[in-house]
Amino acid sequence: MQLNDFFEPYKGDVKEVAIGPEGKTVKIGGEKTLPFHAFEGQVGTPVRFALEVFDAPPEGWPEHLRSSYADVLADPVAWANKCVKQFGADFICLNLASLDGENPDMKRIAENVKKIAEQITVPLVIMGIGDKDKDAKALVEIAKVCSGKNLLLGPLVKENYEEIAKAALEGGHGIIPQSPLDINLCKELNVKLTKFFPKEKMVIDPLSAAIGYGIDYSFSIMERVKQVAVIHNDEMMKAPMVANIGKDCWKTKEAKEDKTQGILWEAITAFTLVLSGANMVIMRHPESLRLVKKLIS
Amino acid sequence: MILIGENIQILSKVVSNALKEKDEKPLQELAIRQAKAGADYIDLNVGPARKDPDVMKWLAGVIQEAVNKPLSLDTTNPVAMEAGLSVCKIPPLINSASGKQESKDKMLPLAVKYNCDVVLSVLIDAGIPTDSSSRAEAIMETVAYANEIGIPNERIWVDPIMMPISVDQPQVVELFEFMKILQDICPGAKSTLGLSNLSNGAPEHLRGILNRICLVMLDRYKCFSAIVDSFDEELVKLAKGQLPDIQNLIYRAMDEEVDVSGLPKKEVDIVKTVNVLMGKSLYSHSWLET
Repeated sequence: MQLNDFFEPYKGDVKEVAIGPEGKTVKIGGEKTLPFHAFEGQVGTPVRFALEVFDAPPEGWPEHLRSSYADVLADPVAWANKCVKQFGADFICLNLASLDGENPDMKRIAENVKKIAEQITVPLVIMGIGDKDKDAKALVEIAKVCSGKNLLLGPLVKENYEEIAKAALEGGHGIIPQSPLDINLCKELNVKLTKFFPKEKMVIDPLSAAIGYGIDYSFSIMERVKQVAVIHNDEMMKAPMVANIGKDCWKTKEAKEDKTQGILWEAITAFTLVLSGANMVIMRHPESLRLVKKLIS
Repeated sequence: MILIGENIQILSKVVSNALKEKDEKPLQELAIRQAKAGADYIDLNVGPARKDPDVMKWLAGVIQEAVNKPLSLDTTNPVAMEAGLSVCKIPPLINSASGKQESKDKMLPLAVKYNCDVVLSVLIDAGIPTDSSSRAEAIMETVAYANEIGIPNERIWVDPIMMPISVDQPQVVELFEFMKILQDICPGAKSTLGLSNLSNGAPEHLRGILNRICLVMLDRYKCFSAIVDSFDEELVKLAKGQLPDIQNLIYRAMDEEVDVSGLPKKEVDIVKTVNVLMGKSLYSHSWLET
């Protein structure tokens, strides 16, 4: 009996998605095995980490979170540069906080994104606020104005995926389709998107929840997505996955009431979802990021 | 396979209005049409009938005037059930009892009193079992109880409870597994299930293909009967073994990987549907498009 007899041969793989313009491209995914099963197959790129930046100063943050960014909160470019240079983020996730409010100026928001994209040294993920209409308007505009910058735009949901994906395709960007904690609906959205959108430009978001607030659902679904791709070779499920956890962790009372607890809350949430198969994690506190990176390495 | 026609059921507007108005005509017509279409039993689903348990008595009387088929009295209310049982000329089917204490106490004894067959679901007080072995465990206990009070296996129609594939695909696979072992754990017992629940939540125009193919698969696993849409002609033909080519393709897709290249779309759809039902490919509402 050989050692290899104990290993599983996997039929499927996860697509490798490249984001960012030439010169600052970063790749995500590309594995041919289950998470941390390096002994059974090619592992793909390391897990990538993004830190969040907001295009309008965030409100309601606890002091032990705010203080890390106190000097840059009003300046997204400085904020992003701090995340990259000081805290070691692989990407920046720019949250379009300025969409919140009445009649946001989409042109101005898009121009601002362009300016930020040009002044930072890492690829940019752009996240809407979860309002399907405003997100669609903003992301379509951004896709046009930032043509060629190979941004990663999200979230795309079943009500707005068509217009955003079409604009992303024209502008040469990647997308983040998001489904509501349901693997069948996750596949459904992928099936519809891949009829006109390349699989190599999709990073899927099966929806993440924080520890104590439903992470078990996220874990099982992400675990199954990865198994369906790698073990069962399902063409529609081969996209890398993103766990967008900052918001959900930092709205918990546990994270808000105590610094150490908050940092651990986010770090352990991130690590748990990496174990379940996330290829990319979007986080908020630099110390949580440092901890989870240390744990993995 | 024995077919129980589901088309007289309270969720239908026509039926609920006719029941309210005590209008015999549309109900009798539905029964006659189902019998003509090939239904072996006519299911009478009146819901819980809390306000008017006697509605079952009236309905059973009206329907047996119109058709010479056994009835399946479908309510969770034992008072309504007994009201129906008291007037049936042909021994009906009690649909249904379960392993819940209340059902054991009040519904099951009716099968003894009226000497008729009874549908016994795997439901227990703890809920619907979630895999084949917990289904087996639940039903063995309930069947043993039924035997004790004088109902032999031959008069029990085990209902493994079909779940919508769009909600919980692995449950469909577990149900097949359960059907495979049913005769080992309850020798001689019959079986039935609400087939249409499988496609609940699936796109309306695709519900038929899921139901039809699943029926053939269940038949192969020796499922005795199913509660079905009597007006799905192709489904009735499949159940009666009148479409051997389709049946053979379904069997082949169950046993091996069928190469679909070059096959006509209808056959490709069948193979894809078998794969989804067997859990070989992940379900999505557009499973035929991938």
